[in-house]
Amino acid sequence: MRPVLLLVRKDLRILRRSPVLLGTLVAYPLVIALLVGLVAGYASAKPRVALVDEAGLPHTITLAGETFNVDKTIRNVSESVKLVGLSRDEAERELRNGEVVAVITVPQDFLSNLRGMLHSPQLQVQTGTGTLASRVKQQIQALVYSLNRQLQGAFIRTNLGYVHALKHGATISFLGRKIEILGLDKSEELLAQLPPSSQRDRVIAFVHDARLALAQTDAAMRATANPIQLVEVSKRGRTWALSAQVQSYALAVTIAFLTLLLAASALAAERDENVIGRLARGLVGFGQLVWAKVALAAAVALGLGAGIALVFGIIIQAAGIEGGEPWERLPLLLAGVALAGASLGALGALIGGLAREARTASLVAVLIVLPIVFLGLVPKEVVPAAAWISEAFPFSHAARLFQSALFDSSPWSGTGREALWLLGLGGGFGLLARVAARRLLA
Amino acid sequence: MVTGDTSPVLAARAASRRFGDQTALQPTTLEIREAEVVALLGPNGAGKSTLLALLAGSLTPTSGAVERREGMRIGWTPQRPAHYGRLSPRENLELFAELEGESDPPAAAGRLLAQFELPDSARPSARLSVGNRQRLNLAISLLGNPDVLLLDEPTAALDPPQRRKLWQTAVLHKQRGGAVVFATQNHEELEGHADRVLVLLEGVLAFDGPLEEYERTELARTLV
Repeated sequence: MRPVLLLVRKDLRILRRSPVLLGTLVAYPLVIALLVGLVAGYASAKPRVALVDEAGLPHTITLAGETFNVDKTIRNVSESVKLVGLSRDEAERELRNGEVVAVITVPQDFLSNLRGMLHSPQLQVQTGTGTLASRVKQQIQALVYSLNRQLQGAFIRTNLGYVHALKHGATISFLGRKIEILGLDKSEELLAQLPPSSQRDRVIAFVHDARLALAQTDAAMRATANPIQLVEVSKRGRTWALSAQVQSYALAVTIAFLTLLLAASALAAERDENVIGRLARGLVGFGQLVWAKVALAAAVALGLGAGIALVFGIIIQAAGIEGGEPWERLPLLLAGVALAGASLGALGALIGGLAREARTASLVAVLIVLPIVFLGLVPKEVVPAAAWISEAFPFSHAARLFQSALFDSSPWSGTGREALWLLGLGGGFGLLARVAARRLLA
Repeated sequence: MVTGDTSPVLAARAASRRFGDQTALQPTTLEIREAEVVALLGPNGAGKSTLLALLAGSLTPTSGAVERREGMRIGWTPQRPAHYGRLSPRENLELFAELEGESDPPAAAGRLLAQFELPDSARPSARLSVGNRQRLNLAISLLGNPDVLLLDEPTAALDPPQRRKLWQTAVLHKQRGGAVVFATQNHEELEGHADRVLVLLEGVLAFDGPLEEYERTELARTLV
């Protein structure tokens, strides 16, 4: 154990004397984490959608006695997508080129069908094959749902007007014609003036029942139109930048870059310095050498992880944001950070042993860490194969462990499972690194 | 250090070493005894450094074995300086003193800094002159009170006064019963220093005998 500690102390001393290297090792992954965040932010930016208006939509439409603001509806849609008015040919060309992700066409007969109320007017949607297409389709479905709800409300109000006319009598306009409706109230009065007979009494009873039934129509029509209502309750939550996932991934990305590069180059540097021969002649075993680099990675990860967790914790505290346990869970998080650093360090040591030269080891480590990180960022639902491959590397387990440690109401099962993964992977990579370290003498 | 034991302190028994498909050293058998200074000669690529690394325990033989008498400690000076460039000479010496199990690492480091006239400053070793780096390389190999010194072309980067000091150190080591094996290409270093000569040619041990016998061989004239 003593040789391991001596080598760790030596490596930390060397690292402290290389502020530029240390700064780069810390700043680089933070920049990468930021770029990943920007890309993720771009992915949630408004997709460009073409609007082909063949119907010549007016600014407002009056339907069933109600006026609808078309411009306002388009503005509402523009909150989630960027609508651009194009001709049919232009829209098709841009869809082929991928400049727009979807085309919404308002056909010529849209307005006449809408006003006639005999045929359902149609909106045509054409999407590309990109990953955003399904999202745009959902947004357009949501738009149509919203428009239908508005129209439904108007139609229900009109129909209720007809019901009111049936109950109380009125002069209404239907399909352009004025119609005088007697109404059940007046019918009942007129029936009462007729000579008594069993037939008159039956009709009076029917009118009475009909009035009672129509009295229930209002609520029933509204309820059947909207069996379930969605009520939006606004509540203060975390911003995207402080979300659980971003915090966990930022920590994991930073530690993955740092530990992998550090362990790989530190092991290979023993050969570059020509010291490996001295160490290997009984002073330090290959297993101890790998342990020293794993311990170095864990120690540096712990220091950096504590710093990042501290910054996040202060920001969250200062902003008064609820959710997560930035302080109470700090010991659990830091234990996870050290374990993740060790596991990633073992992988780094394997790279260092195989690469044999510090420069090559650093390059290989960067080349390997990038796909590992990106594989870990791909959601399982999108590319299952990526998630499977990612399971074989410590990064995704580290990210999940951090998330569980910070945000799960009961973190033990989540952190325990991921900790076992990290231990297993670290042990495996460590054993391989021990074998690979022998190559340093060749 | 002198025990009077005539058994070898260090021995190679048909030890060979391959690197990939290249054989650096054919099966070689030799013995090193107490109070003996052995010169290892041979042209570049003959396998001198490989043999010394095998004897030092830095490399393991591909076949055969290297035997070390129980309790023997070995100091090894590789041809290329082997120390940490970002650590100062003192830090290097203290680190290796601790790894070698010295009882008082700072004192051992101080003694060797003085003996080899090395700067005791915070200056990183990588910024030392070539000669100073070689002196540090030699100083590290003396840590741990070694019984056998294996020196791979130790004088190559040293100035004449430092060479003289090195040979004085070797003589003192021999007088205390220690053994010294040094690789060299400089035949002038044999006279007055070597008791025995080993010659390696293309990985094969071509000669193993006393200096006087070696000087009478055709090999001695060929290698000059």
